[in-house]
Amino acid sequence: MIECTHVFKRYKNGVNALYDINLKIDQGEFVYIIGPTGSGKSTLIKLLDGEEISTKGKVNVVGIDVGKLRHSKVPIYRRNIGVVFQDFRLLPTKTVFENIAYALEVIDMNKQVIRSRVRSVMNLVGLDDKGNAFPNELSGGQQQRVAIGRAIANRPKVLIADEPTGNLDPAMSDEIMSLLEKINAAYGTTILMVTHDLTLVNKHRKRTIVLEHGHIVADLAEGGYVQHDQ
Amino acid sequence: MSSMINRIWRPIKEGFKGVFRHGAMSFSSASAVTITLIIISLFLIFTANVRRFTLGLEQEVQIACMVDYDHESAEEEDRISLAIQALPGVKSVTYSSKADEFQYYIDSFDDESTKEAFEPFRESNPMHDAFYVEVDNNTNIEEIASQIEAIDGISKVRYGGAEAVKLIGALRSIRTVGGILAIALSLLAILLIQNTIKLTIQARADEIVIMRNVGAKNGFIRAPFVIEGILIGALGAIIPIILTYFGYRYLYNLTGGHVISDMFTLIEPIPFIYQISLLLLIIGMIVGLIGSYFSVSRYLRWKR
Repeated sequence: MIECTHVFKRYKNGVNALYDINLKIDQGEFVYIIGPTGSGKSTLIKLLDGEEISTKGKVNVVGIDVGKLRHSKVPIYRRNIGVVFQDFRLLPTKTVFENIAYALEVIDMNKQVIRSRVRSVMNLVGLDDKGNAFPNELSGGQQQRVAIGRAIANRPKVLIADEPTGNLDPAMSDEIMSLLEKINAAYGTTILMVTHDLTLVNKHRKRTIVLEHGHIVADLAEGGYVQHDQ
Repeated sequence: MSSMINRIWRPIKEGFKGVFRHGAMSFSSASAVTITLIIISLFLIFTANVRRFTLGLEQEVQIACMVDYDHESAEEEDRISLAIQALPGVKSVTYSSKADEFQYYIDSFDDESTKEAFEPFRESNPMHDAFYVEVDNNTNIEEIASQIEAIDGISKVRYGGAEAVKLIGALRSIRTVGGILAIALSLLAILLIQNTIKLTIQARADEIVIMRNVGAKNGFIRAPFVIEGILIGALGAIIPIILTYFGYRYLYNLTGGHVISDMFTLIEPIPFIYQISLLLLIIGMIVGLIGSYFSVSRYLRWKR
């Protein structure tokens, strides 16, 4: 489903973000990517969603060579993957309903289908009564649930979550985790979640990939991670 | 089929929504369009009228050639007519008999008593038979006039005068300068407007990135912005159109349709103001379209 082979990333300003990343994630897996700030987590996400191109190596997601995509084809590729960001990235001038519907409008889905799909997604993320609210009228946790709803609305095969709980308190983080687990179980969506919330990682144990200084330093199939002294 | 209609209808709907949801931004962009279009409108009205003056003057400029009393026979006049037509630079030759000339002279008076005072002279008509000559290019009118004067049987030649010719030249320069200024100002205006629209879109650069994130194709993102730009352009044209509509009619009524002298007649307000209004609307919309198209395209490229 997701495969990185010998991926290197060096930014134009000379910063080396990733070294020789080899990674294989199968359909239906739920994987954490953890590591301190500057370890290359965000870069990895950017390579996966097509925002950046690897300097060397190949990034393959759902059978598509992401690095070879033309600028105009990137959005079409993104219809296969849902991405959730720490800062939610909702359209501020659209209501909750419209935000979720937007991801379906862009793929030219029938209006009636959009309507029922958005309703079911809002139900899944627990925001049945917030359809007409604008993002700035919601709490952080609610906004993140809208973002997740939008990301999964067109039933993508892969869901990438970049620190989805980064701006949330522990109780809300737990809620979001349960939601992601629910999606993983219900739709068999492959979930890749970047986080540095070790409490969460240890509580909801999953396969955990550890990044440090741009290298994969551990890939723990059983999950759970205790930070070692450096 | 319904998806086809949806594909056309959606950006229009979204474009309208955009204008209202970003009210302040729309207002500032539309204001830039308004100010520019008012300036363009003034220049359009000015150059169109100067053009009208020039054309009017050019019609005035013709050479009147009087035929000698002893060359008034039909054969002689045919010969003279042909000789004039043969001159290089002559556009047309119109014949006017001495009876026509007399009538024309009498008609030039307004009151009946003066007209009657001239009636006794109708029998012993003192007028000449005449040819009226139009030339291709007014600058060589003097030369052609002297050539006509040299033709046997022509007693006298008069033409609109060197002043008229000079005035035409001057008006032509004004028109050219006015035209160049209008174009230069319009270009400057387009730049200004594009800049304003760019600022409004810059504020929404994040939005564009999000749209690409959720899988919107560039065209899909661009269409509502472009519609929004066209709408803003059209909204910006409202005040200039109103000003043009009432302002020009007011000016026309105030001056009675003439400026300085009867020679300078203003263009009739209708359909002139409709044409100008339509032109302003079209310019506003095109400027909005171009401005928004380029601005969105820039931000589409901003991130992958």
